[in-house]
Amino acid sequence: MSLLTRAKTAEPGAESQSPLRPRRRTATRRWAGLLWLAPAFAFYATFVLFPLMQTVRFSLYDWDGIGVANFVGLANYANVFSQPELAASLINAFILIIFFSIVPVGLGLIAAALLREMRQGAISTLARVLLFLPQVIPLAGAAIAWTYMYSDDGVVNQILRAVGLESQTRPWLGDFDTALVAVGIIGTWVALGFCTILLLSGMGKIDPSLYEAARLDGAGRIREFVSITVPGLRREIVVCITVTIIAALASFDVIYVSTKGGPGYQTMVPGVEIFRLTFLDQKVGLASALALVLAALVIVVVLPIQRLGRES
Amino acid sequence: MINPPKNVRFITTKRVIAVAAIGALAATLTACAPGASDSQSASAPTEALTGVGDGDITLTLTEAAAEVPYFEALGAAFTKKYPNVTVEVSGQDFQTLVNNAPRLISGTNVPDLIRLASFGKVVEDKLVTNLDGYAEAYGWDEWPQAQFDSTRSNDKGTQRGTGSLYGAGPGFGLTGIYVNRDLAEQLGSDGAPATLEELESLMEKAKGAGKTPMIISGPAATLSNATQNLLIDYADSTETVQAWNYNEPGASIDDENTVKAAAKLQEWADAGYFPTDVSSLQQADAVSEFTAGDALFYVSGNWDAPAIDKAASGSFGFIAFPALEEGGTTAAMSASDLQVIPTKAAHPREAAAFLDFVQTDPEARQITVDLGGYVPGGPADGSTPTTAEGSAVGDTVATFADLSSKDQLVEFMLNATGSMAASTLIPQTELLVANKTTPEEFSAKVQSDYVSQLSN
Repeated sequence: MSLLTRAKTAEPGAESQSPLRPRRRTATRRWAGLLWLAPAFAFYATFVLFPLMQTVRFSLYDWDGIGVANFVGLANYANVFSQPELAASLINAFILIIFFSIVPVGLGLIAAALLREMRQGAISTLARVLLFLPQVIPLAGAAIAWTYMYSDDGVVNQILRAVGLESQTRPWLGDFDTALVAVGIIGTWVALGFCTILLLSGMGKIDPSLYEAARLDGAGRIREFVSITVPGLRREIVVCITVTIIAALASFDVIYVSTKGGPGYQTMVPGVEIFRLTFLDQKVGLASALALVLAALVIVVVLPIQRLGRES
Repeated sequence: MINPPKNVRFITTKRVIAVAAIGALAATLTACAPGASDSQSASAPTEALTGVGDGDITLTLTEAAAEVPYFEALGAAFTKKYPNVTVEVSGQDFQTLVNNAPRLISGTNVPDLIRLASFGKVVEDKLVTNLDGYAEAYGWDEWPQAQFDSTRSNDKGTQRGTGSLYGAGPGFGLTGIYVNRDLAEQLGSDGAPATLEELESLMEKAKGAGKTPMIISGPAATLSNATQNLLIDYADSTETVQAWNYNEPGASIDDENTVKAAAKLQEWADAGYFPTDVSSLQQADAVSEFTAGDALFYVSGNWDAPAIDKAASGSFGFIAFPALEEGGTTAAMSASDLQVIPTKAAHPREAAAFLDFVQTDPEARQITVDLGGYVPGGPADGSTPTTAEGSAVGDTVATFADLSSKDQLVEFMLNATGSMAASTLIPQTELLVANKTTPEEFSAKVQSDYVSQLSN
């Protein structure tokens, strides 16, 4: 878009020199711009736009993925909102936003502020590496590790027993009250490092003179943090929140590996539901409709945040 | 992130054209239906031939990863009989295989034999070969036919238990209860409760002794199997559940026996007979917990027998789920290690020969018990594999023979529809043992989900 704007503004200036050549130059520039975009757009079209189109198409049919398809119009969408399990999975996805997004951003801000205070050295580097390590591990691997940690004899219960809280031990992923929270904590653990590093790098570009001025005016650490650091990190926070909200609403790996949506339907999320509908139920149309509803929800949630982030 | 300047319009002509173009494209795509056209039809083999062809033939077989060594041994035995045929076995994680099988056999590079958990839509979509011709040529139609019930289907794929044969397998799984014989002895029992009451009183004794009375799992679907057993106990017949399993029109499982079964399961959970992590216990962990020795009963099937014998042969036995009363009806769920021949297979004749071989050849039947942990079906006079004295495997073979002769082998309720297990029975039984649903609600929900899953 900015290329085209530049091309437009170039026209009047160039035209004053000579009528023919600048027009060809700006036309060429326009086409050159599109040519540079072409390979990336080809990938985007093949792997994003085409499947998206197909999903829209499938959602209007009752199809098992292989045999004959029957056109059913918007019936699949009606089912998404009327079947209680499907609607409940959407609610679970929103609850997971707290754990995948809000908590990591909050804790990340604090962790980044603390890391910034630390002297550059082995400890600060080690802290950074340890915080970021969960991002490097594949989500499925992290989920498996946490499944064992949450089990009856796992680390979590062992620690509780060690500090004398034997009565609080339970199968965290098998208990109806704690399963969703337990799964959420896995997501927090994974996202924390990402948010911390992103916010830390963002802190680097805040003008230090602002801090000096605040200190001169008598501001304490917390006041500095709230009035200078956090507003200065607006863009990074928006990026962090956007990425993690998308991860929360579209989550699949962690839940599928750890609980498969159980116990009962406590941790069922749209991602796992779509998988189940496609491969077990063989209802590709309904799965596609749920996928599109999910995509629409993601956009509805993320766009306002992007708008908020743009105000300056 | 580049913030666009505020004075650029959001809706420009270019954008409108772009959106319109995408919309038009979407409209054209939606105009034509995806998937196969109605005119496709699979033809049954015109000549059902026995034996194998000439020349070097490679038979490709896809199975669950855990069963690859077992099938490679079967393949080696097959090659001994037919030296010009090599069997190439490839394995995939079982759950992935179940999910992908329809796609695998409808694409290119189709294996000659593939393991299925249940038919799903493959018969309806004409992806698997009708085996009636081979059954006649090889004489399978003279064997006890009950073993083929679950692999029969009508041509539309809407009802099983009747119609043409679409699959067969080297052996059968069998559900039951493993017993810790040493612990049972300590509690003053022979470890073979003959009625439901005896089972309950033994569990009560185990609880009193501080041991886990019964290891059972929601995710491994053994809660569902126990419910099915209880249901059959209370009904004193397998008719209702079999009609429901095979999708007979009008079949319903929502009746007083199901409610009683659900109530009994809830009772056992409330009495503390199940492990605390019953709703998150994975199968692998369940086996190791049982063989560690602190539990009395383990609800499972013969597939766990080799591992249990490996841990401590002789200390663990296997029994059928007891009936309600002495001499009443009991049953075990049994499913074939189902192999099908895809319609696009390159060597259907050799694949059928392999299926016949694994069901009849004495060496193959022995391999099935030793390596697969399954019990071979086959002809009434088929060779009986030898098993170690007092082993769990030996018990499973004996139990299978006993129940088979009494016609007390049934299909799993879990397999009644493609997603009955994952979408309904597993979550609903977990809700039941956590007291989050009532037996009446459970019974009604299972039936209503069944109806909606079958509707298409």
